[in-house]
Amino acid sequence: MKNKISIKVILASLAIVLTSIMLIDGCKTPEAISTKSGAQLWGENCNRCHNAPDPTMFSDDQWDAATEHMHQKALLTDQEIDKIRTFLKQAN
Amino acid sequence: MSCILIKLKSMKTSKTNFLKIVSKSVLVLFLVTNSVVAQTDTTATNQPEAANSPKGGTEKLFLAGEAFTIWQSSHVQGYPSTNSFGADPLGLMIMPLVKLNDRLFLDAQVAVAANPIGGGAGVSLNELIISYKVLPGVYLFGGNFQPRWGLFEGILDDFTNRFCTDPVGMGLGAQTESGIGIQGGLQTGYSKINYQLYIANGPQLIVDSTGQQNGVLDYSNYTDNNKNKAIGGTIGYLPFSNSGLELDASGQYTAKTGGTGTVFENISSTSWAASLNYFHVFNPIMVRVIGQYENTQTQNYNLYTNETKTTLLVPSFNNQLSGWYAGMTFRASGSQSIFLSNLELGGRLGSLSLPNDAIWGGKPINQTTLCLTYWLTWKAPINIAYDIYTQAGSPNQNVITVRGMWYF
Repeated sequence: MKNKISIKVILASLAIVLTSIMLIDGCKTPEAISTKSGAQLWGENCNRCHNAPDPTMFSDDQWDAATEHMHQKALLTDQEIDKIRTFLKQAN
Repeated sequence: MSCILIKLKSMKTSKTNFLKIVSKSVLVLFLVTNSVVAQTDTTATNQPEAANSPKGGTEKLFLAGEAFTIWQSSHVQGYPSTNSFGADPLGLMIMPLVKLNDRLFLDAQVAVAANPIGGGAGVSLNELIISYKVLPGVYLFGGNFQPRWGLFEGILDDFTNRFCTDPVGMGLGAQTESGIGIQGGLQTGYSKINYQLYIANGPQLIVDSTGQQNGVLDYSNYTDNNKNKAIGGTIGYLPFSNSGLELDASGQYTAKTGGTGTVFENISSTSWAASLNYFHVFNPIMVRVIGQYENTQTQNYNLYTNETKTTLLVPSFNNQLSGWYAGMTFRASGSQSIFLSNLELGGRLGSLSLPNDAIWGGKPINQTTLCLTYWLTWKAPINIAYDIYTQAGSPNQNVITVRGMWYF
């Protein structure tokens, strides 16, 4: 019984925290993909699932294949992946 | 009666015609888009070589992969402890990624895992997918693939799993399957959506003479056991322009899971999942919240009859499985200290509910996890996790897991 209550309390707390931080995000001024830089999109999209990689880690050809892999895996938009790929190839 | 038969026949005919029209349309679309590529390629030969293109070809191959090792210590209350290099003691996954041109892409995963008992290693093909860009935001794909199923399977289940061990309630829905589909991502104002629709062989219902696994769905099949195909899909919504929040809903329906000609052929199955992934940086702390719920309902049927030729006498059961997990992690990513900025602490709760009356079922299993991760690089974590598994009527199990993973 005690266990059940504590799980409910934890889940309710999580829901409150999540709702609060989502409200903070929701109040921000939105930006369209077209106005964002490749570097910004790289940070935002990579961090959704993993830490953003160092652009110097791979060669241009490797980035070509790696970014296409992530394009299909994370279902990024064409515009996003084009900008991210260009940024990574310029910054490596 | 004859009216119904005529109606059914006409429905069947219209369904066949519809499928013919769809397949012809896809073929025409493929030929048209291909002719565009051919024209583009011809023109491209007159263009100067791009500054970064290597001499020798336009095909891009990247041999990625991962290697990992796991050590586990397990203690069940009332029993002696065990510790060993765990169920997946050592593994290597090779992932050839081939960008053939701007439209064609090949993505494969070949896994080699050491056998926990008896030595040697097992090799398996996790995925083999070829995708083709039809239009911006529309990609045709086919092969052996893990459908988008919430955000855990195929996305947050490898080095991206900050809780080290798998959540007990996952893996109940669509697994790696053979089929074809379309997918893509699109911008909708300041928000984004992503989608995937597919048809696949679908799961096969296990009914055998031992009866031990009767009612379990098996996804690991390259050939179908009937003419019916599973249809499935997912839709993801990223409401914020910074892509910080993703909400996903996935579903799969199979009208037939049993073998052709058996009394079990028409047993259907419906699965669905809903998930959430959110991250935000409250400098210097990065907070991440992840959660997923899965449910699979297979049509009820008495699987223990004369037709199954089983000697077991077990009543029918409600074949429903469900599971969930919710977790949160904290990382001082903005800290001046390199050591602190690479540490991530996570906590997770989860549960799995199996059919209570099934031989393979039982009472719900709950899981509580605490995990500390140190990121050697952005894709090489070392995790130390502590899991507590509880189940009514069974002794608790505590497991310590240490995992080293190197993605390359």
